[in-house]
Amino acid sequence: MAGSEQASVALVQLRERLCSRTFAHSLLQSSSDSNFRKLKFHISSSISSACSKVLLLRGDKGSGKAAVVELVLKDLQADHPNAISVVKLYGLLHSDDDNSALEEIARQLCSGHEFSFCKTASLEENKEFLMDMLKEYGLARKTVVFVLDEFHLFTQGKQWLLYTLFDAMETFTSQSIIIVGLSCLEGSEQQLEKRVRSRFSSCTLLFGPPSEEDGRRLLEQLLHLQKDSSLPSKYVVEFNSRLDKIFGDKKFKEILSSFTCADGSINHLLRFLFVASSYMDMETGYLSLQSFESAYSLMKRQPKFDSLHDLSILELYFLVCMHRLQCKEETSYNFNSVMKEYKAIQDAYRTSDNYSHAVCLRQAFEHLLESELISFTDAKGRNDSIRFRPVKLLVSSRELHDSLKSNPSCPAILQKLLDHESYM
Amino acid sequence: MGKQPKTPEPERRTTRSTASISPAPTPSKPSAPPKTPELSSSLRYLLSGLPGRKSQILDLIRLIGPLNCPSLPLLLYGNASTGKTSTVLKVLKHLDRSFVYVNCRSCHNPRILFETVLSQLGSSHKKCKKMPDFLNYLREALVERNKEMVFLVFDSIESVRSWDNGSKVLSLLLTLYDQLQNYGAGLLYISQSTPDAYLLRFGSFQPIDLCFPDYTFEEIHSILMRNRANPKLYSSFLSVVLKPFTRVTRRLDELVSALDPLYKKYCEPLTDSTITPDEAMKRRLFDYVQPHLIAALNQTFTIPPRALKDKGGIKRQGSGIGNATGLPELDFHMSVSAKYLLISAFLASRNPATLDASLFDSTGGCDGRKRKRKSSQSSIDKKNTKAEEMLTKGPGTFPLERLLAIFQCITSVLEEEPSLNEEKSLENGIGLMSDVLLQLSTLCNSNFLCKSGNCPLEGSVRYRSMIDEDMALKVARSVNFPLSNYVYRR
Repeated sequence: MAGSEQASVALVQLRERLCSRTFAHSLLQSSSDSNFRKLKFHISSSISSACSKVLLLRGDKGSGKAAVVELVLKDLQADHPNAISVVKLYGLLHSDDDNSALEEIARQLCSGHEFSFCKTASLEENKEFLMDMLKEYGLARKTVVFVLDEFHLFTQGKQWLLYTLFDAMETFTSQSIIIVGLSCLEGSEQQLEKRVRSRFSSCTLLFGPPSEEDGRRLLEQLLHLQKDSSLPSKYVVEFNSRLDKIFGDKKFKEILSSFTCADGSINHLLRFLFVASSYMDMETGYLSLQSFESAYSLMKRQPKFDSLHDLSILELYFLVCMHRLQCKEETSYNFNSVMKEYKAIQDAYRTSDNYSHAVCLRQAFEHLLESELISFTDAKGRNDSIRFRPVKLLVSSRELHDSLKSNPSCPAILQKLLDHESYM
Repeated sequence: MGKQPKTPEPERRTTRSTASISPAPTPSKPSAPPKTPELSSSLRYLLSGLPGRKSQILDLIRLIGPLNCPSLPLLLYGNASTGKTSTVLKVLKHLDRSFVYVNCRSCHNPRILFETVLSQLGSSHKKCKKMPDFLNYLREALVERNKEMVFLVFDSIESVRSWDNGSKVLSLLLTLYDQLQNYGAGLLYISQSTPDAYLLRFGSFQPIDLCFPDYTFEEIHSILMRNRANPKLYSSFLSVVLKPFTRVTRRLDELVSALDPLYKKYCEPLTDSTITPDEAMKRRLFDYVQPHLIAALNQTFTIPPRALKDKGGIKRQGSGIGNATGLPELDFHMSVSAKYLLISAFLASRNPATLDASLFDSTGGCDGRKRKRKSSQSSIDKKNTKAEEMLTKGPGTFPLERLLAIFQCITSVLEEEPSLNEEKSLENGIGLMSDVLLQLSTLCNSNFLCKSGNCPLEGSVRYRSMIDEDMALKVARSVNFPLSNYVYRR
């Protein structure tokens, strides 16, 4: 196989692994106290004892809640074929009004059993359908698992869906209806109304970032190529050995630790590895330390600093004037007061950057608003023209200082103006 | 692959991106640094079409990856006119991937957005209003494609924030990756705001950010030099003009619209526009264009409306280069009564109500005499604070009756002057009143006046004038009204 061909096949393999939501989490499932095992235990025990349960999974975004649920359900469906039905609801889409949630439940149940779904059914009809289906499930000794993503959105408003589901759990006592709620916010169960909470006896599973040892193991398993038939084994062995050498390198360890310091979750790591794999040398097909370093520098950008670096001189003048007004403890200032300050500076120092009112408004002020370095303080408020609405600076003085220093064509007068204030 | 002249590229469909940037006239010698391997000719063509964007293009190609391979979502951000949209579209065409492009600024509500995406995917559902339906139809349409990967490009997503229900739609768009796993869709978001604006809305996979910084000075220079008939002349022009203009703004579209008329001015004294200037000529041309340079720097860099362009030569707002009288003129047409109404509104906002009696006395004319007053320190202080207040608070409000009273005073002055021609003579009072009320609502709709809150005592509506003094002067000049006599100056 030619070098570049190998490289593209390897790259496709790596990318498929890194982009899949469940692959990385499936590698962690075998450890003894993992959430996977706990969840599987809870669900399978309630299936076998035919009792209903509410489970809450809590953890940051990207910590693998939905992935683990998917893996557990896949496993259980393999163990108990045809005995489990899954309905997935998303808080973003289905918590708005009651009918959308019931409609979605009906649609998923229909497609699961190849009934034809009627879109114009009313709320009552959908609810009746749900109750009938649950009764049938009970008679057939099947389980329904409701997965509610963004659980905290379902607890807002009247919580009608939760009440219906919990009510169903009470009515049909001899079968198991399992509700799994996924949330990234704490205390969603506190928000439940009293009548709902009285039916809520749940257990919570917490999802956190993987331990260091787990993380290292994960790294190896994600990036090592498998010895299967599509790639020549010599290439695979060479690839893996090079990777091991990189993993042992001190610089790599530094990069990895500073990276996971900010965010240790698995999905963050997957992003990093995805970018690093895209830097694979397509001629030879190997990853090098350089790839990881380039990936790190790509992900390390500071957008605010970049947008400050790109400003024109007039816009910098504006920011410095606003900063001065702020230091003078003016509570609110608008475009006109900033212009006054600007003109005062021009009169005092007679620089070459004296521009007219219209130019300042159009070019500098509106650009700064667009790049979100300044913003209006009144939220849609009065219909005032742009000159009179109060504005505020969204850049700290440290950032402004750094950007003035880094801008090569910045006039010295601006530095002086900014520095003088810090002595005041 | 070597440095041979390459054959012309196959015909590509003209879209917005290709139509705006004309292709390079001759195949340029590749200036790839010696480290990188030989680039294919189509890649070189792509790079030469988008100068200054080499690293972004290469990053994008790398991140999109091989054919039919899954990819994480990407977020490209940068200021306006930094080439984000054109880069994405050109790269996707170069890689020959199927994509769906939708611009959230032209689809200004969720329904249009959803229906555009679905129709481009060839879905059979024509109407889609709600988000759950959109997701279901999208999945159906993707399944029909048999795992062939399609890229969904959402442009200008920062404009979604200002829609009704915009935050929900934005969250849906940014979490599409979670919902569309294993459906064969790649996601590309283009935004003018930095990723900080979206941090709370991402789903489990935060997109990979790709920054499009503003062009540096040298890049702006090389972009402006493209496709010039006389490169040497234009480069001498740029060497004097570009530096001061980039001190004001670094945006390419504004620089282009500002420099074009100036270049025409620069070339005026030359009889032969294809000659190469030498040092002495350069200096003379510089002296010729310098006064216009100062004037041009103090105007806003806008593209003038078509009506003015057709008048022959390009006119500019502000003290224009080609303007005969040298004074600013009104760019659009307004009826005479609307102009008077606007002037009255400006005066009503600007002057305090107590002055009306003295300014507009019973004969309808301006008094003219200003009473002399001893200016003590306290009154000077009061004047200063009032001026400050006016700067911060803006124009004052006035009730409708005051506006109509001033309007009648002003127009009654006109009726006395015998030198009016037919067009300017106004009807009697009652006919005037009904016309005026119609004009009032027109002015409100065009944002020249705006309704302020109701007066708490009487419950009547109060208005406020939104135009500034320059505009009022333009309007007054067009009807020969001596505005400065009536404006209260502190």
